Amino acid sequence: MPLPLKRPQKLSLLRRIPMPLMSIMIGLFCGLVVWGMLDQVQPRALRSIFAEEMKTRLDQQARETLIRFDNYVLAHTSTARLLANHRQLANYLEPVYWFKGDKDQPRQYRSTPPWLPGSTLWQSLIRPSHILLLDSDGRTREIYQLGERPLPVELAGTNELPLSERRVQANLTSLGDRPYLLVSETAEDATGTEMGFLMLVAPIDEQFLAASQQGVSSNGVLVGILEADEQRFLASSDQSRLPPQRRLSEVEADFLVTAQSFSEYEGSTLNLQFATLVPHSVVEAIRDRVASLERRQRLVAAFTFVSVFTLVFFLLSERLNKILQRISRFSQRALGSKQPVIERGNQLFVLEDWIHQFIQLVKDTREEMRQQHESEMHESEMLKQAIMETALDSIITIDRQGVIIEFNPTAEQTFGHHRQEALGKVFADLIFNDESRPQFNRLMADVLSSRDRHPDEMRHELTAIKRGGGVFPVELAIKPIRLKNRLAFTIYMHDISNRRRIELEIRSLAKFASESPSPILRVNRRGVILYANNASDQLLSYWGCERAQTLPLYWRNRVTEILANGRDWQTQVIGATQVYSLLLTPVVDLGYVNIYGRDITAEREAERQAREHQQELIHVSRLSTMGEMATGLAHELNQPLSAIANYANGSVRRLQSSGRESEDILYALGQITAQADRAGEIIKRLRALVGKQTPVRRIADINDVVREVCSFVEFEARKAGVVIEQDFSISSLPVKIDVVQIEQVLLNLIRNALDALLEIPEDERNLVIQTRCQDGERVLLRVLDTGPGIQDKDMSRLFEPFYTTKESGMGMGLIISRTIIEDHNGTITAEQRAAGGTCFSIVLPSNRNRDEQ
Amino acid sequence: MNSNATVFVVDDDSAMRNSLKWLIETVGIRVETFASAEEFIKSYYPGRAGCLLLDVRMPGMSGLELQEYFVRENIHIPVIIITGHGDVPMSVRAMKAGAVDFIEKPFNDEQLLESIRSALEIDQDQRSIQAERAEIAARLAQLTPREHEVMEMVTNGKANKEIASALGVSAKTVEAHRARVMEKMEASSLAGLVKMVIAANLYSDH
Repeated sequence: MPLPLKRPQKLSLLRRIPMPLMSIMIGLFCGLVVWGMLDQVQPRALRSIFAEEMKTRLDQQARETLIRFDNYVLAHTSTARLLANHRQLANYLEPVYWFKGDKDQPRQYRSTPPWLPGSTLWQSLIRPSHILLLDSDGRTREIYQLGERPLPVELAGTNELPLSERRVQANLTSLGDRPYLLVSETAEDATGTEMGFLMLVAPIDEQFLAASQQGVSSNGVLVGILEADEQRFLASSDQSRLPPQRRLSEVEADFLVTAQSFSEYEGSTLNLQFATLVPHSVVEAIRDRVASLERRQRLVAAFTFVSVFTLVFFLLSERLNKILQRISRFSQRALGSKQPVIERGNQLFVLEDWIHQFIQLVKDTREEMRQQHESEMHESEMLKQAIMETALDSIITIDRQGVIIEFNPTAEQTFGHHRQEALGKVFADLIFNDESRPQFNRLMADVLSSRDRHPDEMRHELTAIKRGGGVFPVELAIKPIRLKNRLAFTIYMHDISNRRRIELEIRSLAKFASESPSPILRVNRRGVILYANNASDQLLSYWGCERAQTLPLYWRNRVTEILANGRDWQTQVIGATQVYSLLLTPVVDLGYVNIYGRDITAEREAERQAREHQQELIHVSRLSTMGEMATGLAHELNQPLSAIANYANGSVRRLQSSGRESEDILYALGQITAQADRAGEIIKRLRALVGKQTPVRRIADINDVVREVCSFVEFEARKAGVVIEQDFSISSLPVKIDVVQIEQVLLNLIRNALDALLEIPEDERNLVIQTRCQDGERVLLRVLDTGPGIQDKDMSRLFEPFYTTKESGMGMGLIISRTIIEDHNGTITAEQRAAGGTCFSIVLPSNRNRDEQ
Repeated sequence: MNSNATVFVVDDDSAMRNSLKWLIETVGIRVETFASAEEFIKSYYPGRAGCLLLDVRMPGMSGLELQEYFVRENIHIPVIIITGHGDVPMSVRAMKAGAVDFIEKPFNDEQLLESIRSALEIDQDQRSIQAERAEIAARLAQLTPREHEVMEMVTNGKANKEIASALGVSAKTVEAHRARVMEKMEASSLAGLVKMVIAANLYSDH
């Protein structure tokens, strides 16, 4: 189905223009572009070439003018030589002698002097203003003036020209601000005696320069002498166009100036340069000529381009027209195109449209076919893919050579190889290790040799390796697939390591009971022992039965009961050496009773020991309390008894010393003393009786002692809703103490604190026991509570015997505690805590670093 | 026995204090009583002759602490400790701290009085030694530095000649110095001088 053609609207105008017309338009356009480009490029190139050419031309011209100038100067020197060596001069000088010291003025000539030959000989060549004769000292002796120009004053007397040179010298110099050419030559008389010099003086002026160029100067080219230091002209070949003293900068507007130095005229005292001046107008004229030539060439090039281009396009469009006609015929006949081929308009576009239509047609048809095929393929592929992907087994397809050609996602997971990596590898190398590979190869051989087999026979268990080297068991089945021209195998593999592990676990679970150190038994409904582990031997001997025998009657009845009501039953059995706790659990469904025993002999022993220890402590505490009570009593009674005895003794002495003795009174006083002593003795004996237990001192860590005491009072504390916070020093705190006595003190303090805490709300109850090391020499133990605290009036009497604030108290606890602590060379103090509550501090000497207190 | 000597009784129990005063005064010794160690320290000055009868266990400053105070303050009053039955270990510590005796309550009057007497004697001895030392010190103070030098050398057993050469003076000068030392120190013989010097050194070392 041909699609409607969509062409951009913009091009619609172009489409209507016939090809030849368009080709002319394009040709014209291109011609213009070429013209424009050449216009941009060519003149620039030409200009640079022209400038270069111009420069060489100018240089050449400058060189030529200089050469001509040089030649003209040469003419002067030659003339000078001719004149100096002329016979006429020699003859003239023969009789002449110039005194060195005379002051004669030089002789002036206005016509040809006798020392010169006829002027025709040399005046055609040169035009000097003066010819001088100088003596050997350089003094001017004779002057011949040719024109009206006066001799420069510098030459009238002795001049400093380099006379030592014995040859003709040309010298450019500036005299009176005018440039002069001086040429000197040695003059000799007829006898060959050197007399002096002949000198030609020629001003370098307009005439000189013009003469030097001898009319060669064309196109208005000028030459001039330039004072290089001051950059101004001293003379030129045309004074009207270039008057002397013009500056170079002024001149450069009209002329192109090329300056050259006079290297030949070394004697020149001035820095003079020879300048060639070419007028700009000349240069411009040449340039214009070149430019017009170039434009003409460009025009020719553009025109040629347009005509060739147009011609080519025209021929091309003619050709296209023919092709189009053929195509339209073809499309009408062969494709049955309903769309008429556009006959008019731009043939190129028409062709393009047609090709477009044609390609579209072909594309559509092909697409249709492809879709049909694809949908068929897709269905089958989807089916296969679904099977491969969702299979719980690893499915791997290999070819005849054992190379993997398909690898499903489960296989990727199981073996850890990516599908892309696995494809193309040899299956046996990838999946099996050295041990299992031969097994697999054997299997493959089997599969190949036997055509038909029962499916079960094709299942095998092998060991496979996964990526990273992990080994695991797999179940494997091989299915050969016979394809059109080759043989392939599909291998189904299943990871059976889970199954193996579960098997193992079940087996090991079964061993659980037998490994247990506690007795485990199972009896059935009738009380027959079905199972008893090794640890049950003691129990069995207690029951007097063996494995597989029945339990005693009492226990049989219990088993029946338990099975009937389905509830656990717990009991204890005291054997010959061991004590067991037994738990009987019914397994109602199966009609069994499981018996779990636990050896609690050690626990029992520990409990008994703890009980004994506590009883001992209670006993000791009681004894000690009695002892301290006695001590307290003794102390309290001793005071009055002593006072009584003192008074009685004092009275006796006073009576005796006064001399007013009265026998009966003395007797009575003696009796008072005796009875007081007796009472004292009784007390002493009582104290000795209860205080006979000798303290046993040993080194203990105070932290351990506190921990022990806390365990004693744990029950009481829990009852009071208090958790005793143990804030212990990290290091151990060794003290040499009577552990029982110190425990008693601690018990006393903790109980006091607990009693105090009962007076406040439960959530505010807080009891802390701290142990600290003080200065390394003492151990500090503090009992801190948040109770109501001790009132100030009570504080001072806290450690007095029989002083108590408790209704049931005896008032002995703290005094006993103090006695014990002081016995240990320690101190005990009480203080009110700032935040409320009481703090009891005990300081004991540390046993660290010392053997004996 | 010095009649100025006083027995200072420090006990917190007033019955005890007063009965002791009653008893001790029977033998003609002056008794002053104090209810606490602090009270005693307030009224006592070191120059007073006598001894101290001290109950070890008292509220506030204890007997032992008072003894420590004496040691710190360089007070040499003899101390007798009175103690109850239970305080034997404490009494031992008191003795170690320099108490001259301790007596257990209730006490035998003879024993107590005997103990007081001996304590007062100790006190008097200490005082006389101290007085002697003070006397020697006073005499020593009269010596010129050169005489002091000569005396030290003499008592160290140096001969006159040795002293003369050591000090760069004549034997005669030494002899004159020596005579003046003997005179100022009121020593009758060289042995007497040596004794004095030893006594002075001994006590100053103390």
